Amino acid sequence: MQVDTPQVLFKNRHLGRPATLAEYRAGGGYEALAATIGKRTPAEVLQLVLDADLRGRGGAGFPAGRKWQGVPTDHVGTRYVVVNTDEMEPGTFKDRILVNADPHLVIEGIVLCAYSIGASEGVFFIRPSYEGDAELIEQECRVAREHGYLGNNILGSDFSFDLHVHRSAGRYICGEASAQIKAISGLRPNPRKGGPRTAVKGLWDCPTIVNNLETLANLPGIVRNGPAWFKALARSATGSGTKLYSVSGQVARPGCYELPIGVTIREIIFEHAGGMAPGKTFKTVIPGGASTPFLPEALLDLEMDFDPMRAAGQRFGTASLMVFDQGTCLVGATLSLMEFFARESCGWCTPCREGIPAIRELLRRIEGGQGTEEHIQMLTDLLPVLDKAYCAFAPGAAEPVRGLLTHFMNEVNAHIVQKRCPFGNPPPTLRGKACGTRPIQFGPTPCPEDQCPI
Amino acid sequence: MPDLIIDGRAVSVPKGTMVIEAAERLGIMIPRFCWHKALGAAGACRMCAVMFTAGPVKGLEMSCMTPAADGMVVETFHPEAVAFRRSIIELLMVNHPHDCPVCDEGGHCLLQDETISGGHSLRRFPGRKRTYLDQNLGPFIQHEMNRCIHCYRCARFYQEYCGYRDFGPMQNANRVYFGRFDDGALENPFAGNLADLCPTGTLTDKPARFVSRRWDCLRAPSVCLHCSLGCNVTALSRYRRVARIEARENAAVNGSFICDRGRFSAGYEAIPERPRSARLDGNAVPAIEAETALAARLAALAEKHGPGSIAILGGLRSTMETQAAGIALAQAAGWRAPAFFATRTEQAATQAALAVLTPPRARSLAEIGKADAVLVLGVSPLFDAPMLALALRQASRAGAKIIVADPRPVALPLPFTHLPVPPRQFPAVLAVATGSPDAAAAAAQKRLPFAPELWPGLETAAKALAAAKRPALVFTPGLAAALPDDDRLGLFPVLAQASSAGAALLAPTDAPGLDELAADVAAGRVKGLVVVEADLFAAAPGLAAVLGKLDLLVVLDYLPTPTVAAAHIVLPTTTIFESGGILAASDGRLQAASPVQSPGDPVARDGAGSHPPRAFDRPLPGTDPAPAAFLLDRLARGLGLTLPREPLAALAAAIPALAGLDLAALPQDGLRPAFAGLAAPLPAPLPLSAESGLAVIYTDALFATDEPGRYAPLAQAQTQAGPPVLLLHADDAAALGLADGLADGLAVSLECGNRLVPATLHLSRAMARGVIVVPRVPDLAGLPPILGPCGLRRR
Repeated sequence: MQVDTPQVLFKNRHLGRPATLAEYRAGGGYEALAATIGKRTPAEVLQLVLDADLRGRGGAGFPAGRKWQGVPTDHVGTRYVVVNTDEMEPGTFKDRILVNADPHLVIEGIVLCAYSIGASEGVFFIRPSYEGDAELIEQECRVAREHGYLGNNILGSDFSFDLHVHRSAGRYICGEASAQIKAISGLRPNPRKGGPRTAVKGLWDCPTIVNNLETLANLPGIVRNGPAWFKALARSATGSGTKLYSVSGQVARPGCYELPIGVTIREIIFEHAGGMAPGKTFKTVIPGGASTPFLPEALLDLEMDFDPMRAAGQRFGTASLMVFDQGTCLVGATLSLMEFFARESCGWCTPCREGIPAIRELLRRIEGGQGTEEHIQMLTDLLPVLDKAYCAFAPGAAEPVRGLLTHFMNEVNAHIVQKRCPFGNPPPTLRGKACGTRPIQFGPTPCPEDQCPI
Repeated sequence: MPDLIIDGRAVSVPKGTMVIEAAERLGIMIPRFCWHKALGAAGACRMCAVMFTAGPVKGLEMSCMTPAADGMVVETFHPEAVAFRRSIIELLMVNHPHDCPVCDEGGHCLLQDETISGGHSLRRFPGRKRTYLDQNLGPFIQHEMNRCIHCYRCARFYQEYCGYRDFGPMQNANRVYFGRFDDGALENPFAGNLADLCPTGTLTDKPARFVSRRWDCLRAPSVCLHCSLGCNVTALSRYRRVARIEARENAAVNGSFICDRGRFSAGYEAIPERPRSARLDGNAVPAIEAETALAARLAALAEKHGPGSIAILGGLRSTMETQAAGIALAQAAGWRAPAFFATRTEQAATQAALAVLTPPRARSLAEIGKADAVLVLGVSPLFDAPMLALALRQASRAGAKIIVADPRPVALPLPFTHLPVPPRQFPAVLAVATGSPDAAAAAAQKRLPFAPELWPGLETAAKALAAAKRPALVFTPGLAAALPDDDRLGLFPVLAQASSAGAALLAPTDAPGLDELAADVAAGRVKGLVVVEADLFAAAPGLAAVLGKLDLLVVLDYLPTPTVAAAHIVLPTTTIFESGGILAASDGRLQAASPVQSPGDPVARDGAGSHPPRAFDRPLPGTDPAPAAFLLDRLARGLGLTLPREPLAALAAAIPALAGLDLAALPQDGLRPAFAGLAAPLPAPLPLSAESGLAVIYTDALFATDEPGRYAPLAQAQTQAGPPVLLLHADDAAALGLADGLADGLAVSLECGNRLVPATLHLSRAMARGVIVVPRVPDLAGLPPILGPCGLRRR
């Protein structure tokens, strides 16, 4: 554990198990809630969040306060908070660790958000592989209810809010806010574009705030210590707060680290994650989860913050660093990301539904040594098409390919010239079986997703 | 009104119009797959990308999802947009099987058009194509999933537009499958539109499959005959039979769609039983011989008994030209006034239903779809006028409250309030629902004291209609006289048959009902009867029973009805596909149908199933049928009379509602005349007392209960074999001792005239008390209006 950087979200991580209510309260837990409910108006809480410049931790970095401002004040009826824990971005695992470290921090954050927008119901949307976490949250919600932090008349006030856990069916696209709302409603989770925002018309057509779990977990700190404290946590000028960085790949100590926003990538990899694994040499890193491009070594001193990253043509994303060493074939790495994206597309728009599998097919050929110059041209032609997809899924999927073609073209060419993978990877399966995707009544499909060739 | 420039041309469009629609106004067809005028934008196909070079939006954007705004400059042929669209086409073709030569859509395929116009001609992508297994989707729609380009039009139409759930998208990524959980017929009675909507050959018209390439078909605009709404269709004919029917756009009537009854009920024009040659006393004779004999016999009758002993009877499925010719002949020859309707009351009611359609109150079908509260009285939309159900669905989707008062169990794909009331209570329902909402509760209790279950629904109806900005009332003709005099309330009548409105417009006020005619025949006052395109056994069983008393029965028809079989002289007529003509829809809209094929046996039969015969020296077989108006004119000449050259125009000139209209040049969308001074509404018919028995309510099925549809093989195939199914309220059944043990599906007999008709009795609680719901089949046409105590008995 690092001791030199402030640990706000991971304060109780040192326990090595989920902190209990007593342990959370011992560290000042639920003080923010007690100081808020009945003492501050919801507008004051909103102002605190606006002043703290809390930006969404789910990838897009939209300011949370501005999102909440969109909730119509004159709405009569239920408002909802949806907690997005559908953490399916490859390389991202911060929410799981956060829930397991301090579940009550998360619950307090959710209740504060609900108080600010006047929500009476919350949905904890969690991916199905996090079943343990779902049960943990359910159990800790019961504890919180017993102690009056959740449920009817929270802390004896007339504010009531309850949270229930909704297990996702397990699709990456369900992490998109509008798709998530559809998924909860039992509809096909195609993202929605145009029309009123979810803050105006979301779950069951009521105002709904969908926020990432980590975003909401920052609220107790902001409310208790004030926006100035929160802004001071960051190291960069434009950033605020700390961030959970998931570091994976060829580093000495992969893991999730809470560090200020604005630390450099070099510092994360080479100081906090202990540098490269023994005997490995750094080649590149994907800085923000699977839907961000490869970052060349020259940009390692980039500050990890939303605006500086964007200015450098990179994306902060979920701050999940996947580190690759010199022995990794980047064509193969990109291909395995494309396998993921091709499988997880919702199938709504053409660039995503047809374009990503086409990229995957081309990468399979190149990786298998059957690639030609023409295939590179096709890849180049496809990228701008993916950028004009319906939602942000396909543009995200295009990023690693773009990074590959921009910074590591020599590796791609080596595959084509040598007619094999220079790193010795075996050729990927080029020919799957023809996929008879016929729906069989409520049974397994003949083509399970992990074997499906398309 | 945003002003924008598209391809260098300025256009000004209403606020909220999408750029793709704005371009359409200029005649610029931006390529599209998922966008459809009726379904709106989905943003799924990304085909309609255009370049925005100046204005509030910049860069490459989808024209279907970008509302037109002031100052926009759009280039549809910008190189970047063209390249992008070509890439999209290329991606769509990656998995398309490219089996155009064996695909029924070939030649009218949007994907073909866009692929060729987009300039994609060579496949670059390696790899195999995706394949799917297909499903059996029933008799109307053929499924070929491999051809699918996933535009989601079918799913959006099926689930959102129509409100049915049994067909839709499944799975994700590029495995998305449009189908059902399991094989089976589509439940949606508008599913035929999927064939029109699908931009590829994924969903095609199954009965028309492999019948003809579309470019080989003769095509003509036509009007649907299978209910009174007058939906616009395009008839496609090949080898002298109608190969298929497609929806024809009419923004005021059916929009872009038609129902499956209208689409799949053609085929009666090509059945082998159709009367194709004139018959004289049961023997086929040349037409001229039959006509000469007819003139001679009519002249003899007129001489012997006077011209008043001859009556002419017009049908409600004829064009207005035919109806007018019959009226003109009767007038010229001094025969009795022509009869069209079952009773004088029915004729007066139909005329009154049109007379109330003053300009501020008349609504078109499309306007019903935009109403914000609709009270439907005495109509079961899905069966009496299917497209009305689709219009109501659109109103309901926009938030309209729908209330249906009908004695039958009503099923609709939308949330609605059903008030199961017997017809005699319609005026009370109407009075309460259109009265003051505050007094509705009290009025409901006062007017309908014995139906407390209806009070809440009536109160809702009154409140919804009072609060609505565009309330509308859909009614049957019987209620025309009871309608409130309130210009706020839009009116839309649903009539009995396709040409009921035409007959009501044209029929002279002294026209007798068929019941009077039956009495006259029975009393010997009428000796000769000329029946034009009507089946007496279905329309007037009372008259059919006394046909034996006639000296002369002449039938002009294109359907092999029992009346044709009973006739002394038969003259075959042409169908609307062969002669065209003008039809008046239920809201009085006059619409013209064009002929699409020549009369004559279909080549399939003429050539004995083999290649079309090459004998050019012989007359085309089966071409005796002639337009009824033409035959009546010839008959008049044979009698030494002269009819006006254009009987309809001549007759119309004398009718205030139609005077001054140019019937020869009706606009494409049809023409709705103002009906001022058509006829004064008559007092409402006396309510029938239900105390002595069960009121008989005829109900339509989706298929084969309309007269032409009964002779359409495909529509007929959709009906269930076995005895007709009757519906009775469970409590009534209990009172009659019919609810024991075999509560559902009890074998009963129904007294019909002097026969006992076997039937199956089903019970329901979603219907009115005191009524029995009977299918509209000729077998049961002779039921009395009130079924006596012994009318229904256990078999």
